[in-house]
Amino acid sequence: MRPPEDAVTASTESGTALPVAAQPTVRSYALELLHRHRRAFLTIIVLNAIAAGAGLVGPWVLGDLVNGLTAGTAAQIIDRSALIFLAALVVQTLFTRMTLLRSGVLGEEVLADLREDFLSRAVDLPPGVVERAGTGDLVSRTTTDVDRLTEAVRGAVPELTLALVTGVLVLGALVVTSPELALAWLLAVPPMLISSRWYFRRAPQSYRAESATYAAVSASVSETVDAGATIDAYRLGPQRIALTDRRIKRWVSWERYTLWLRSWWFPAIEVGYVLPLVGMLALGTLLLSRDVISVGQLTAGVMYSQLLVEPLDTVLMWYDELQVGQASFARLVGVREVPPRTADDEPEPASGELVVDDVRFGYHKARDVLHGIDLQIAPGERLALVGPSGAGKSTLGRLLAGIYAPRTGRLAIGGAVLSRMAPERVRTHVALVNQEHHVFVGTLRENLSLARPGASDDELRAALVEVDAADWVAALPDGLDTLVGSGGLALAPGQAQQVALARLTLADPQALVLDEATSMLDPRAARHLEQSLSAVLAGRTVIAIAHRLHTAHDADRIAVVEDGRISELGTHAELVDAGGPYAALWASWQS
Amino acid sequence: MARLPFPEPGRPELASTGRYLLWIARRQWGTLGLGFLWATIWMVAQGLVPAALGFAIGAAAAADYAGTLRAVGAVLLLGAVQTGAGVLRHRMAVTNWISAASRTQQLVVRHAADLGADLNRHVATGEVVTVTSSDVEQIGSAFDVAARFVGSVVAFLGVAVLLLTSSPMLGGLVLVGVPLLGLSIGPLLGPLQRREARRREQVGRASALAADTVAGLRVLRGIGGEAMFVDRFVQQSQRVRGAAVQVAQVRSILDSLQVALPGALLVAITWLGAREVVAGTLSVGELVAFYGYAAFLVIPLRTFTEAARRWTSAYVAARRIVTLLRITPTAPPATDATAPDFATSVVRDPSGLQLHPGRLVGVVCTDPAVAHRLLDHLQGGAGDGAAATVADLALPELDKQALRSAILVQDKDPALLSGTLRELFDVPRSGRVSIAQAIAASSAQDVLDAVVDTDPLTSDAMSARITERGRSLSGGQRQRLALARSLLVDPPVLVLDEPTNAVDAHTEARIADAVAQLRHGRTTVVLTSSPLLLDRCEEVVLLGPSGLLAAGRHRELLVTSDAYRAAVVREEVSAL
Repeated sequence: MRPPEDAVTASTESGTALPVAAQPTVRSYALELLHRHRRAFLTIIVLNAIAAGAGLVGPWVLGDLVNGLTAGTAAQIIDRSALIFLAALVVQTLFTRMTLLRSGVLGEEVLADLREDFLSRAVDLPPGVVERAGTGDLVSRTTTDVDRLTEAVRGAVPELTLALVTGVLVLGALVVTSPELALAWLLAVPPMLISSRWYFRRAPQSYRAESATYAAVSASVSETVDAGATIDAYRLGPQRIALTDRRIKRWVSWERYTLWLRSWWFPAIEVGYVLPLVGMLALGTLLLSRDVISVGQLTAGVMYSQLLVEPLDTVLMWYDELQVGQASFARLVGVREVPPRTADDEPEPASGELVVDDVRFGYHKARDVLHGIDLQIAPGERLALVGPSGAGKSTLGRLLAGIYAPRTGRLAIGGAVLSRMAPERVRTHVALVNQEHHVFVGTLRENLSLARPGASDDELRAALVEVDAADWVAALPDGLDTLVGSGGLALAPGQAQQVALARLTLADPQALVLDEATSMLDPRAARHLEQSLSAVLAGRTVIAIAHRLHTAHDADRIAVVEDGRISELGTHAELVDAGGPYAALWASWQS
Repeated sequence: MARLPFPEPGRPELASTGRYLLWIARRQWGTLGLGFLWATIWMVAQGLVPAALGFAIGAAAAADYAGTLRAVGAVLLLGAVQTGAGVLRHRMAVTNWISAASRTQQLVVRHAADLGADLNRHVATGEVVTVTSSDVEQIGSAFDVAARFVGSVVAFLGVAVLLLTSSPMLGGLVLVGVPLLGLSIGPLLGPLQRREARRREQVGRASALAADTVAGLRVLRGIGGEAMFVDRFVQQSQRVRGAAVQVAQVRSILDSLQVALPGALLVAITWLGAREVVAGTLSVGELVAFYGYAAFLVIPLRTFTEAARRWTSAYVAARRIVTLLRITPTAPPATDATAPDFATSVVRDPSGLQLHPGRLVGVVCTDPAVAHRLLDHLQGGAGDGAAATVADLALPELDKQALRSAILVQDKDPALLSGTLRELFDVPRSGRVSIAQAIAASSAQDVLDAVVDTDPLTSDAMSARITERGRSLSGGQRQRLALARSLLVDPPVLVLDEPTNAVDAHTEARIADAVAQLRHGRTTVVLTSSPLLLDRCEEVVLLGPSGLLAAGRHRELLVTSDAYRAAVVREEVSAL
């Protein structure tokens, strides 16, 4: 049977701009973690070995008894043997408990390290990377990948170490009992090795494809529910049903393929367990008839062989699971591969003047979006950027806010080049205000003070007064301590926007770049907010990406951006007089 | 499995949760029955291995080597049976799992597609996500474990009979001991589950906190506060660790008891068995077999606990699914009035608004509630007790499908479903407007380019994927794609609510011209306050809470109506 389609295509739903760590990074990080916890890890191995060693006593006692019973000399040793067996069981139980507890605690420490490392790396990503990659991929890494890795570490790691240590010890005990009998296990090697090589060459990517195609089934069902109104309006019901059925078909075809893989692999492994047992009994009978071994040795050998099945099974079954964990691990460690911004060696800006000098920029190497932009913006000036979608207004705005570095040319504030300053310093001078008004889970105080850590309540209240939000905040049951964000009090969109504006007042940058700042608001309710906004803008340099022409009308100067170039620049009156594209647009707006 | 998905999932029995599960079971009784058969053969073969081993060693001890070889043959045979039946059992288990899961997914999606917006009023999306991912899996896994459970019961009883016939005392010990061991772990399960629930809660909080922090990363990187949020997360992460260690404490005791209790039984059997051998009531071979049985019985014992656990969760999961499937539409059943031809009939809203066939009408509302009521009426609602009419028929009386195909209301934030652009544009349509025309009219070509740019897998625009809800696109880009989709449908009456408020003025002007041209001769209603759009309308209407306030062309109304001017032209203009 062939895989139903290319496994990589099936498991990639959409691309990502964030790196996934390569093998060397993954390995060195894993070793680093191991090194950090090496003492705890060694202790666990030792405890584990004692527990597994005690577990070997049972078959040995049975073998001894069988020998004694066959020879008729057992009567005296029965009670003693049972006591030894019992003592070994007590040791095994106690040490198993210690092993499991310690490995559980260690696993949790490693997981805590991992998720904390990941988050502190994530919040340190250069703003340009965040802007381009979006936050969706990062969110799925913080949730799905952390969860998957947690499952793998909590389940696989303790069981695997236990299985490996036990397996090695059982094999050792088997060799000590009778090296001749142990040879029977060589029979297991060909079927297990050949089938496992075959299986693991196909399995990991097929399981990834299987789980991705299953996730697609769930996603299409839950999206159907989520977008009920749209599906209703566009009569998409039949399409959604057909889509889901199609996705079920795709998922089932992967399920059938992996089932087919297992239908060969499972029996081969099973044969690998049966052959040594049969071989050992046949060989044992031969050796027994020639008095090379005793019945007791044969009994113990057979029982040890039975004991070997479980650890072997565990290793084989978890191997798969670990590969899933490893993929998630690589995605989490991947954020470490984003190169940090260069060292911050720029002097403090001497003034608030923004100078753009022959700036070219593109997201792709081959294609520039901005072609030679020149612009001087005086401190306190209001500049409006207008122009058609896709002309490069937003890109220019992001360059002015220091989020991207120009490919060539120079972009500086008060003589200091923005792209050579650390993001933490850039934002004290310029801030980008976009339509994203994220309200964090937490108190209102936390939501505000992030802009000025350690700010007093008076400062926070002053900021709220400035954006005209003091009244509704005062009316909240817990005031600044009210829990907001997902799961807390849901703020109205207008209130969320005021919170965002209050943050800006607290951060107090000299210049602001406004991009679609108010555009997603219901125009039937936007007026109130514009007053809040104008309070924040007072006294600052403002670059506004204008979607509404009245914004442009009120600006000191207007830059018309077309095809990545500034085609017109001047005051409203000048541009209207010039009779260019701006004038035409104004005429239709104004009429 | 080759038949999946089912052409029709059927009509489920929803009288109770149990009935639903039984209904599913009946639908796949063939594969379930085969699963029972193979699982029983598989388990019994496994259970008989210790007996064969006992014979082999017993014969060896008695120097009866021919007997040993016969027993070895039996081990080989049992191994072969166990291997073959094991694979067949596994194949049936997976088939049962997948059939139950697919059938449930198919039922849920069909029900959701039928209910449309009604479902959103009853359940939160979060809950549905649980239903479609973990609940469905749990139902599937209940059918997966069923066959193994049956096999385990048969094997357990079989072994018990074998034991009783060779030693009533040891047989009794195993028969009573094994279930007792299973039960003795019970008291620890409560604390474990409680601690596990506490851990999950802390994990949920940590995960939500991390996701929230990352989702707001643009704000953090743009304004500051990273250190504060990392500190907050570290505290929560350590709480997770604390709760998990608490779980590990109980779990390690539980897991070591799983070693100790069967071990104790093994010690007892070895001890008592050896004494019986000395007393002459038991053979050496039987002792070895008993040792093997005691070790084997751990497997059925584990299966019993596993089945109990999975069935409990499957029952809870099925209850949620049954609740969802029981939801019925709230709208009154449509009468069989034949739908009038919307292309020639006037639609009248109780507010006094009249939509004449083929006209482009701009509607300005003085407050959001007015707009909301109008949109509700046009979708066949009568939320405020009044309804819109067409040719003297009230819209709520019409067949829902006929109404939807006549009037398309594009609301303010229409959902873009994830998938390729080809899938996005796969909507029921008149065929009069091509995809290229719709994209051109909504100035969405650059959105297509942006979608292709962010999808590394393809360079073909129609095969490029948009992510869930179009989150990777800006508000203006989403609006233009949504508009293109509505234009493509080309309904007799198209109602657009603020279709371009996130689009820049240049583009909005282009869209206004192109839409007017493309919709020429078809009824189009635009709810907006944008002068650029209103200027292109053949007629503009101002609606207030009491009804129609003014009507005319945009330029006339600017002059004649103060209220209109106040609503459209902003006196305080901009913040700049």
